[in-house]
Amino acid sequence: MFLAIREMMYAKLRYFLIGFIMVLITWLVFMIAGLANGLSADNASAIQQINANSFILQSEAESKINRSQVNMVQWKSVEQQVKEGQATPLGVKMAAISKIGKSKKIDITVFAVDPKEFLMPVVIQGKSMNNNEKREVVVDQSLQQEGINIGDWIVDTDTSSKWKVVGFTKNKSYSHSPVIFMNLSSWKAWTKKDTFQAIVLRETDSKIKIDQQLEFVPKEQVLESTPGYKEEQGSLQMMIAFLFVIASFIQAVFFYVITLQKSHQFGVLKAIGANTKFLAQSVVAQILSISIVTVVVSIGLTYGSAFVLPDSVPFLLETNTSVGFSVLMIVVSLVGALLSVYHISKVEAIDAIGRVE
Amino acid sequence: MMNHMLAFERVSKVYGEKTNQTAALKDVSLEVKAGEFVAIIGPSGSGKSTLLSMAGLLLSPTNGNVYLDNVEITKLSEKERAQLRLQKIGFVFQASNLIPYLSVLDQLLLIGKLASNSKGMKQRADRLLKELGLSHRTHHFPAQLSGGEKQRVAIARAWMNDPEIILADEPTASLDSKRGREVVEMLASEVKRKGKAGIMVTHDERVLDLCDHVYTIKDGVLHLDDKVLFSGQMQE
Repeated sequence: MFLAIREMMYAKLRYFLIGFIMVLITWLVFMIAGLANGLSADNASAIQQINANSFILQSEAESKINRSQVNMVQWKSVEQQVKEGQATPLGVKMAAISKIGKSKKIDITVFAVDPKEFLMPVVIQGKSMNNNEKREVVVDQSLQQEGINIGDWIVDTDTSSKWKVVGFTKNKSYSHSPVIFMNLSSWKAWTKKDTFQAIVLRETDSKIKIDQQLEFVPKEQVLESTPGYKEEQGSLQMMIAFLFVIASFIQAVFFYVITLQKSHQFGVLKAIGANTKFLAQSVVAQILSISIVTVVVSIGLTYGSAFVLPDSVPFLLETNTSVGFSVLMIVVSLVGALLSVYHISKVEAIDAIGRVE
Repeated sequence: MMNHMLAFERVSKVYGEKTNQTAALKDVSLEVKAGEFVAIIGPSGSGKSTLLSMAGLLLSPTNGNVYLDNVEITKLSEKERAQLRLQKIGFVFQASNLIPYLSVLDQLLLIGKLASNSKGMKQRADRLLKELGLSHRTHHFPAQLSGGEKQRVAIARAWMNDPEIILADEPTASLDSKRGREVVEMLASEVKRKGKAGIMVTHDERVLDLCDHVYTIKDGVLHLDDKVLFSGQMQE
């Protein structure tokens, strides 16, 4: 640390510049991570937030919930095998609605749930719905921005079915559209069919016997099979991975070039008694302090910029994501330090003395 | 062997593989007593640096023995030699080779850090800087110092670990003759005052009169050549 601190204080500009580049990259990593998270939530928060482990879907549906069909007989058979509150059917259908009296259409996804079961979301405003009332719906709060309020009637533009908004829930979307929750009898009246898309299980239980046409699908897989989900997340995650590689290389190259430049100086230090460990500690201390300061500044900048981003930009950075990426960034920097450490170990004290004939 | 701070006993050094061998040192014997300041002169490529590197425990001889303070260093491991180097040897390099980002004081304190011994190092550093007339430069960086001052800092640094032997590699190379002479005077007087041994490799014949003995080295062969010394003194 003796050398590390003094050198950084002496060559402030040099270390400031590399720190600045690292801040920009790390900042971008956090922003993209936040966007990836935000988009993921925006895309499929209604699935993400389901407090369950497993789905039963039609085998032919390829884990895509909107393609799956589960009939009443299949559901009843599962219902008989599990304890109460462990399984519940889910109907999913995408539609376009408009507020009665307005012509503007809004894309939504209908989730048909049993209001007594665990799929029923928490109502944050207005009242909840029950199994008796038909035509009552609880909708995602984002519809408020479209001018829909509690007590308003909405109409399905295709079938002309009408529903009354009785409550708001928050952060419930599927395939980037707000979710409308209705009970199973409204669902049946609307779809005119006795089928659902899935059976949701609290706990994975392979002892449950299911129809041959059905299969168990873990929640993660259902989430990834949401239309567009994998593509969005995949491209953003690829960017993040590249940024980590770039950050690692930039730091590695910077410190390696400085180390090469200082070869002679390291030789002198070795001649006057410094060993490789002492010198390597100095480089590692520099890289550590730069990457820690970088990560802290970047997190500050990220939350600062999240604050000024408009609400319409989906941005969500969870603490464990930022901690994970911070640790990864520091680890990646240290891996880059190995190159410099290797070079330092190769420098010999004898290089300090004239030219050896 | 007693009383010899440093002794070379029929030392030779061969570089290269079997078919392409070059002998840098041939059968060199040399003894330096405590309080002696010795100069080694010779053209470049003559083996000066090899000799100095060996005295500084940076190189091992191919044949022969080297004794430092009566310890046969050829038998020591790499680690033991590094330890011995830290304890018993002070280096003064060509062009001083100070660490650019350390202040004059820190250059000296670094030695204490390396020896994991910071006790009394500050006082020691202050005293050395005072002795070498550098007290007013304590917090300056090497870039702010003149060539002579840098070399004096390098000398102070070499004394920091209280070595038994000081090795100077062309200490006057980057200095004008007046500054160069001052630096060598300082080295020689410190060696005598402290009863240590000093070896200086140099091209600079104008400072040889400050030395107790002068050796010339040519093609790896070392001769005692005090004639140079006397001619130098006669000029004075």
